[in-house]
Amino acid sequence: MLTRRALLAMGLMSTMPVLASSSIKPRKLTVAAFPNVDAIIKAAIQQWQQLHPNVYIEVVSRQYADHHTAMTTALSTSVYLPDVMALESSYLGRFAQGGGLEDLLREPYRIDQYRSRCVAYAYEQATNRRGAVVAMPTDIGPGTMLYRADLLAKAGLTASDLAGSWDAYVDVGVKIKAATGAYLVSNIRAIKDVVIRSGIGPGEGLYFDQESRVLVTAPRFQRAFKLSQKVRRNKLDAKVNAWSNEWAEAFKRGKLFTELSGAWMAGQLSTWVAPDTKGLWRAAQLPESNFVSFGGTFYAIPRQAAAANKALAWDFIQLLTLNRERQFAAFKSQDAFPALLETHNDPFLEEPLPFLGGQRARLLWREAAHQITATQVHKQDSFAEEVINNELDNVLDNDKDIGRALADAHRLLERRSHR
Amino acid sequence: MKGDLRSAVLVTSWPAYLIVAVGALIMLTPFYFMFVFATHSRTEIFNLPPPLWFGDHLVDNLTKLTERLPLWHNLGWSIYVALASTLLTLLFCSMAGYAFALFEFRFKRSLFALVMATMLLPSFMNMIPTFMIMDVLGWIDQHRALYIPGAASAFGIFLMRQFALTAVPRDLIEAARMDGCGEFAIYWLIVLPLLRPALGTLGLITFIASWNNFIGPLIVMRSVENYTLPLALRSMQSTTNTEWGALMAGAAIATIPLMILFVVSSRQLIAGLTTGAVK
Amino acid sequence: MRLPAIFRISPRWAPYVLISPFLGLFAVFGVFPLLFSLYLAFQSWEPTGGLQAMEYVGLANFTFALQDEWFWKALGNTAWLALASGLPQHLVGIPLAVFIHLSFKRLRVRDSIAGIYFLPFITSTVAITILFSSLFSTDYGLINAVLHALTGTENIDWLGKPLYVKPTIAFIVFWRYLGFNVVLYLAALQTIPKDIYEAAEMDGAGRWQQFWCITLPSLRPMIFFGVTLSVIGGLQLFEEPFILTDKGRGGPDQAGMTSAIYLYRMAFDFNDFGGASAMSWLLFIIVALMTWLTNRAFRPRKGSV
Repeated sequence: MLTRRALLAMGLMSTMPVLASSSIKPRKLTVAAFPNVDAIIKAAIQQWQQLHPNVYIEVVSRQYADHHTAMTTALSTSVYLPDVMALESSYLGRFAQGGGLEDLLREPYRIDQYRSRCVAYAYEQATNRRGAVVAMPTDIGPGTMLYRADLLAKAGLTASDLAGSWDAYVDVGVKIKAATGAYLVSNIRAIKDVVIRSGIGPGEGLYFDQESRVLVTAPRFQRAFKLSQKVRRNKLDAKVNAWSNEWAEAFKRGKLFTELSGAWMAGQLSTWVAPDTKGLWRAAQLPESNFVSFGGTFYAIPRQAAAANKALAWDFIQLLTLNRERQFAAFKSQDAFPALLETHNDPFLEEPLPFLGGQRARLLWREAAHQITATQVHKQDSFAEEVINNELDNVLDNDKDIGRALADAHRLLERRSHR
Repeated sequence: MKGDLRSAVLVTSWPAYLIVAVGALIMLTPFYFMFVFATHSRTEIFNLPPPLWFGDHLVDNLTKLTERLPLWHNLGWSIYVALASTLLTLLFCSMAGYAFALFEFRFKRSLFALVMATMLLPSFMNMIPTFMIMDVLGWIDQHRALYIPGAASAFGIFLMRQFALTAVPRDLIEAARMDGCGEFAIYWLIVLPLLRPALGTLGLITFIASWNNFIGPLIVMRSVENYTLPLALRSMQSTTNTEWGALMAGAAIATIPLMILFVVSSRQLIAGLTTGAVK
Repeated sequence: MRLPAIFRISPRWAPYVLISPFLGLFAVFGVFPLLFSLYLAFQSWEPTGGLQAMEYVGLANFTFALQDEWFWKALGNTAWLALASGLPQHLVGIPLAVFIHLSFKRLRVRDSIAGIYFLPFITSTVAITILFSSLFSTDYGLINAVLHALTGTENIDWLGKPLYVKPTIAFIVFWRYLGFNVVLYLAALQTIPKDIYEAAEMDGAGRWQQFWCITLPSLRPMIFFGVTLSVIGGLQLFEEPFILTDKGRGGPDQAGMTSAIYLYRMAFDFNDFGGASAMSWLLFIIVALMTWLTNRAFRPRKGSV
């Protein structure tokens, strides 16, 4: 597929004598990315040069937030755009609505022919409200619950006690705290974030519906707040932020019983956050079988990028996203769970994971990946998330009434919803 | 009377020395930790309490750092940009500061108000228009885009003016003019030497600001080989998987030139007018 | 130095030549961004859509900004932080500089001490971030450990509770810029002629009198400079709260979100450049007003400007 497209591109150019000579001269594709996607891209260069010896790949790497700022700046002025840009899923919504990215449904991309080869929700996430598909998914972050099997055993409980409802989850947390002193979660927001993502109706987004109506007084928010309140009243949250020293230390000291996060978290824990806890962890689906996504990466082509490079850019994206070898390489080196479905039947997914005590956890994550549904994104989602977090703090720290908290959030969001 | 006060000062001064010493300790602590962290793996850094003494991962961290970044290129560009920016800024700002302090001319008040106003505008609102200008000039990925635009900084002009108000006597300038000294000669031979302490201060501050600047390079720089150090170091930072040990080693490397500069220039910075012609 | 006559300029034109680099650079790099952001303040713009995505909306951005709770919240935070971090810089910085100036006669010692106080100003922000998040850590942090040992207080969640975020940030800003001000004041102290002090001492003036009657008035232009910088820097405070709070969002309840951070977030987190431009112009008016007030308070009694 890839080579055919490449041949086609070459063939098109050879019909034009001027361009034909330029195709022999070395050309350059610029790819803008952030860590550790940059490493994944660099690892693909060798294979790319076997296919296109004359096309050199330049990777422009910036810090995660800096990268998205630089992409906003480049798109806004349409100058010095990269040929390919990596986008993280939480930014994708904002970039997708703007119209600065190429609609990949069109010729010569025809992304729809690959739809069935991608994880469904990721493909849908890249679809904007006008129906254009603006990016190709490369990796996904299926949500999972990591828990300490040793602490569970110490409290005389089994995995089946943990599986099931949120109430069962909190009950286990109470017993674990009593028996071992470990907290149920690092930060209560993790629970809230999963619960508000369950039971989203069709045509609804997380905080807004398609007509920008505010949804934060819906039952799922009420429930998330009540559950959070219960967790706090039982003092089950460690009140630490992810990636802080305290958070890492709590893992090392066995002070955290579960962590609700993306599947990639297991890799982070094992490589550097708490390598000494190897074998003590297990993975399970999130309570009440909530299937939620935690991050993911996409590649897009700017509409105003150099037209002559677009076909090549698409070739490169295909190499990164539709090539089994590349997808596996990223999976193995960076814990980037592949968005390419045909990798999901590989024996690699059945391998036992030593950090998780030999559990075949990738199969769990695969199931989650297939169950997650895409939600409508809204431009004000990141603002809404913060408003909700504030009100949650108000409820937990200042005993604010839940109904009033959500009503206040509603009022604040309504003013923003049409900006 | 005089003697009493003297002794009163002496009596009260040992707590003052103590406070100065404790203050100095507080100021030094982070610096020390940066070097300590540079010798530890990220797992060790994220211990609590963090490591208090040097570890044995320095070589490891440096290897990771040089694998990920063209570090010596970045270091070289940082030095180049900081030097160019310092020299240009000293020149332009001392010129303008001197003019605002010692000349009377039309529009002086409004022009000085303009200088002040440029200091007040939030700089990142300029990111997008600045990017457009750089594109028009063809300065994208060019280092001159980093040291030319800010060379007549409002801060520098303001500092020079405030300093020149007290440090440059009008009589001296008038006397030089009487002697037939040209305006350029007055600036170069009389005013600049008098401004030396402030030039030292401004030079150091400009050097540091240029050294630590990452918003400027973030907008205009495109290739990793052309990055300055802060941008290069930041580009190693990811949301989930940052090599903190290597990053701290890089931060330490980035700070060492500033330290050397400070040691070398601190005499100049606050040494005062030992060879002044006037006082 | 003798120059050919053609390069010799009359004193009448000299000031214009002297400020021409400033004017030139301002014309190229200053005027256009200003006009651009003024234009943008009347547009609705989704920047990722490119320049053609602008849409004229009249005063809507300004009315939105004035009614926006977060805009006022950020302004309040900024004022609080500017005061709490700015005032101590000078109230501590001036006596400290005078003390260092008077007590350490050997230049090498004096310079080293000033140098130590200046260090925080040159330390990289990456190092500061990690360091302070561990120092201010609730359960294992050094600061809580010391406080507990001294006063037996319970551990304080410095960066996690709205109440404590502001003092923490103010302290760090103070820590970072104290040495900067000390160096400024030390430089200014050098310019006070020694014979004035000698004459005062002859007349029987004590150190306090010398401080009040000679040192402070002589420092006046530098105090004006330093305070103006603190006011401007305080009202544009960005970096320290940005690196200290989670994802640069300003911390719990946005208690550490300054106006500058909010503007940045309006533009690059919420992709609302029109609103951000309108706010930056409102902010500009406020800051200009504050600077004008500072100017009036510290303006030298005689002389121009």
